[in-house]
Amino acid sequence: MSDRKFSVIGTDQVRKEAPDKARGEAIYADDIRLPRMLHGRIKRSDYAHARIISIDTSAAEALPGVKAVVVGSEAPQKYGIVPQAPTETAMAIDKVRYHGEPVAAVAATDPDIAEKALDLIEVEYEPLPVYVNTHDAIAEGAVALHEDNKYGNIAYQARQEFGEVDKAFEESHLVIEKTYKTSYVNHVFMEPHSAVARFDDNGDLRMWSSTQVPHYLHTMLSKVMDMPMAKIHVTVPNVGGGFGGKGEASNNELIAALLSRKARRPVKVIYSRREVFLQHRGRHPIEMKVKMGVDKEGYITAIDYDGLMDGGAYGAWGIIILFYTAAMLHLPYKVKNVRFFGRRIYTNKPTCGPMRGLGGVQPRFALESMMDELAIKLGMSPYELKLKNAIDKKHVTVSGVHVRHSEYKKCLEEVVSESGYLDKHGKLPFGKGVGLAGGYYISGTAYTLYMSYKPHSTALIRLDSESGVTLQCGATDIGQGSNMVLAMMCAEKLGLPYESIHVISGDTKNAPFDLGSFASRVTVAAGSAVCEAADKLIEQILPIAGVALGCRADQLAVGNGEIYSIYEKEIRMPFWDAVEKYIAAHGPLSATGSYTPPRRTGDFKGGNVGHSPTYGFTAHVAEVDVDTETGEVKVVNYNEAGDCGQPINPLSVEGQVEGSIVMAMGQALYEEIKMTPDGRLMNPNLHDYKVPTMRDIPNIKTLAVESYDEDSPFGAKEAGEGPIQPTIPAILNAIYDAIGVRFTEMPVTPEKVLAALAAKGQE
Amino acid sequence: MHLEPFEYEKPNSLVELEALLSKHADEARLLAGGTDLLVLVKEKILSPKMIIDIGDVAALQGITADPAKGLTILAGTKVSTIEHSAEVKEFAPALSFAAAQLGSSQVRHMATMAGNVCHGSPSAETSPVLLAHGAVLTIAKAGGERELPISDFWLAYRKTALAPGEYLKAFTLPALPKNAAVEYAFKGLRGAMEIDMVNVGVYLELEEDLETVKEVRIGMGAVGPIPYRAVKAEAELKGMKVDDAFFAKAGELAAAEATPIDDVRATADYRKKLMSVLTRRAFSAAFARIKGE
Ligand SMILES: Cc1cc2nc3c(=O)[nH]c(=O)nc-3n(C[C@H](O)[C@H](O)[C@H](O)COP(=O)(O)OP(=O)(O)OC[C@H]3O[C@@H](n4cnc5c(N)ncnc54)[C@H](O)[C@@H]3O)c2cc1C
Repeated sequence: MSDRKFSVIGTDQVRKEAPDKARGEAIYADDIRLPRMLHGRIKRSDYAHARIISIDTSAAEALPGVKAVVVGSEAPQKYGIVPQAPTETAMAIDKVRYHGEPVAAVAATDPDIAEKALDLIEVEYEPLPVYVNTHDAIAEGAVALHEDNKYGNIAYQARQEFGEVDKAFEESHLVIEKTYKTSYVNHVFMEPHSAVARFDDNGDLRMWSSTQVPHYLHTMLSKVMDMPMAKIHVTVPNVGGGFGGKGEASNNELIAALLSRKARRPVKVIYSRREVFLQHRGRHPIEMKVKMGVDKEGYITAIDYDGLMDGGAYGAWGIIILFYTAAMLHLPYKVKNVRFFGRRIYTNKPTCGPMRGLGGVQPRFALESMMDELAIKLGMSPYELKLKNAIDKKHVTVSGVHVRHSEYKKCLEEVVSESGYLDKHGKLPFGKGVGLAGGYYISGTAYTLYMSYKPHSTALIRLDSESGVTLQCGATDIGQGSNMVLAMMCAEKLGLPYESIHVISGDTKNAPFDLGSFASRVTVAAGSAVCEAADKLIEQILPIAGVALGCRADQLAVGNGEIYSIYEKEIRMPFWDAVEKYIAAHGPLSATGSYTPPRRTGDFKGGNVGHSPTYGFTAHVAEVDVDTETGEVKVVNYNEAGDCGQPINPLSVEGQVEGSIVMAMGQALYEEIKMTPDGRLMNPNLHDYKVPTMRDIPNIKTLAVESYDEDSPFGAKEAGEGPIQPTIPAILNAIYDAIGVRFTEMPVTPEKVLAALAAKGQE
Repeated sequence: MHLEPFEYEKPNSLVELEALLSKHADEARLLAGGTDLLVLVKEKILSPKMIIDIGDVAALQGITADPAKGLTILAGTKVSTIEHSAEVKEFAPALSFAAAQLGSSQVRHMATMAGNVCHGSPSAETSPVLLAHGAVLTIAKAGGERELPISDFWLAYRKTALAPGEYLKAFTLPALPKNAAVEYAFKGLRGAMEIDMVNVGVYLELEEDLETVKEVRIGMGAVGPIPYRAVKAEAELKGMKVDDAFFAKAGELAAAEATPIDDVRATADYRKKLMSVLTRRAFSAAFARIKGE
């Protein structure tokens, strides 16, 4: 890296919008107040599984102040992020599939009236059997949630096999087979879903929403509202986090649009925290039967995975996530023989979906736990086993996934030396332990979720001597800092300060196309588009500057707000003077850039999933103290070493990594949505659903290993989803090191620890 | 959020407060910090016709320490004030500690200890320490006042001894004798913003010999419908010599007297185990504190 000199890239920058957010001055969707705006509220079902016999809205409609009431049958068009298999409607029609599903909605002049009106809506149900676990849902004779689904309550299932798995197991020195279960958890982003819809007199729809994916929301609004896309304009104001939970259209957005069209007034629909838990799209609980073998030296011989995913009521991202869990088995280790069997099951629960690191976190937990166990059984350090199997700088998996750049080994080496793992593992007193785990994630995807050949990201940069630099890109800043990353790249390219770049993003009309913020795709994809646009601008300006300076354009460079000769110091001129001359001579100065990822695929089912331009890697060491009398687990120290390529803003990378660790720690130790047998949520609030607090956060040290992906914009890769992968197994491996108990289920509560210790004592 | 309408009063003096209370005894609720009350109102569990905000009653604010009488905390005092008060730190350090565990900083700046106690939650943060201190409550109404030991204050789940028209005016924590200390121990799933799975306050007083138990009190929380004292355990522990066996015994006896239930937060069985460990640890800490360790 030392031979690369950057002035903006690699510096700690404070987000431009941070002070506004800290003061409460930043505008979020809920801050939008339009003249004559109504407030929408949603009537939700009292049954987890039932046929709707009738809905009577007449009393609600008669309530003074109520301006519109809508029901499901008014918007029968099914939608879904995977357009080939739509399963949802804006509100339930004929049938409800989870407790709290929207059945009707009201818009009124104030929220109190709207809420009152909900109580006046009479819905008659015919209850059906409720399935809150996968086994009941697929038992003989179970009633299908979706009558048109071919395989009862199995939403999708898939098999993949590479190499000779059975033979490899036979020849293995040691094989372990175990079942692991992950829990039902929510993202808990700070800002509940919020949307405001308005129709103008031309019949055009404007929507402001807290979405991660304005483009997908745009397509789904067009479908459900039965309107051409050109008549819809989606704008994303500041967003208080998404983590995947805002990664497809949500009911409130569609309902706001429907109510607004009917009432002919603007309508806002915001969720309460309970409604966020009902909209859900959190991580799939998966029951995973995993078998793994190694040879005498600890090289992995084969992996066999059978996962039963609890999908909840609707399809959503389900099929994509199913295939991601398959893809995740192949990295970051060299595995020649892999068998995958996965099923996603419909149950009467709020729908599971994409959550930070989707598809990876569950199998990673199983595999990294298993490798720890295999190593210890072989009498080998888990570090040695993992390092032996870790992929090299370049790698192609048996499933055909190409990794163009990896520093995974460095991650393992550096985290182990930083944390003192080798001096501690197996050597600390009873009750204290350390655990190691590694992981990786994609930096974008090779395919869109629907058939399309257009670029995945586009950018437009305009240079104007009066208004400065305007960078327009449809990428969406949901708090992860993409506006900052793109502005920093643009600033570096143009040789201007970061502060001078004005970004317009997250808008389907005012910014050019981008797929959205998911799959850790924005830095590489939108970043590449921005770099291409900036390069084109420089190509346009340098000849003008060359004429002005009497110098060849190819001897000129930009930097520090100037254009200068790379050979003679005194040949230089202010950047903006050149822009002014260009505009005077040629008119407006702007350029576009775009990015289409390299396409690769496998010739098997799900073969498109898992391919990415490049991949991020990470390794973690957790150190825990277990109170063996109360069962309490405290994570005391935490080390991470990550390969995110060149960190664009190291401060932001640190934030992403620390956030990932804390989020996964919550899942490992505290978080779980609890349900009654009849499908009611027992803890849909932040008092009873327990995310970690400041007091629970360990002493975290993160480190970016020396890394630069030559084919990425400024060498960068993802940093926001890889780092959540190894945390759960790192903590659980540490618990094993501390007390000799292997947990295969989450969350590891004090009560479970104590019970396990008691059981162990009896052995 | 849709709220049922209510009238709102904000008296400036005790006289005004008491007049309002006696006039609207049945339909009014006092509002201190509102951190319990407004949650119930918003969830439509309570719909009082009138809310009387005591925030402007200066005569309900303040903490005084008197070597003879002990520590007096007036009912309107904020939990954060109690947490940071030099007097409380000196004369009731376990209360200062318990106050610091309640909710978050934001919650503590709104909440009062009177609200904590009057809300009557079995797992309330300050109740076990107040039981251990043998706190005395001053209960007032128009034209009169009475005193009540805190152990008689809770009658049933979220039901207190306050009669219509009465309010809680002050807490008095009798001055600690020589060779005595109070400790507080609690456990939630996470480190803050928790409803405790179990909490316990213990009082230990030693004879001059510094090894014989003169007096003990154990105030237990979240192991029954109300916070309560483990009176049988207290009787049995009196007169024992303080050593590891005593600490263990104290834990066992407290656990035996705990009557928890299974709920979302923990099973009854686990709560009993926790009560034993926490009580043992709290007594051992109290002993260390007396010995100046
Ligand atoms: C986010 C959050 C976290 C919390 N965490 C904790 C925690 O960790 N531990 C814990 O114990 N509690 C916790 N609580 C509950 C609550 O904050 C405490 O119980 C607090 O002490 C209540 O005090 P208040 O002044 O807000 O009471 P209010 O809500 O104002 O009143 C509570 C009840 O007491 C009555 N009341 C108040 N003052 C008097 C008086 N002087 N005389 C008679 N009746 C009176 C009211 O009428 C009402 O019925 C939490 C609450 C929230 C919202």
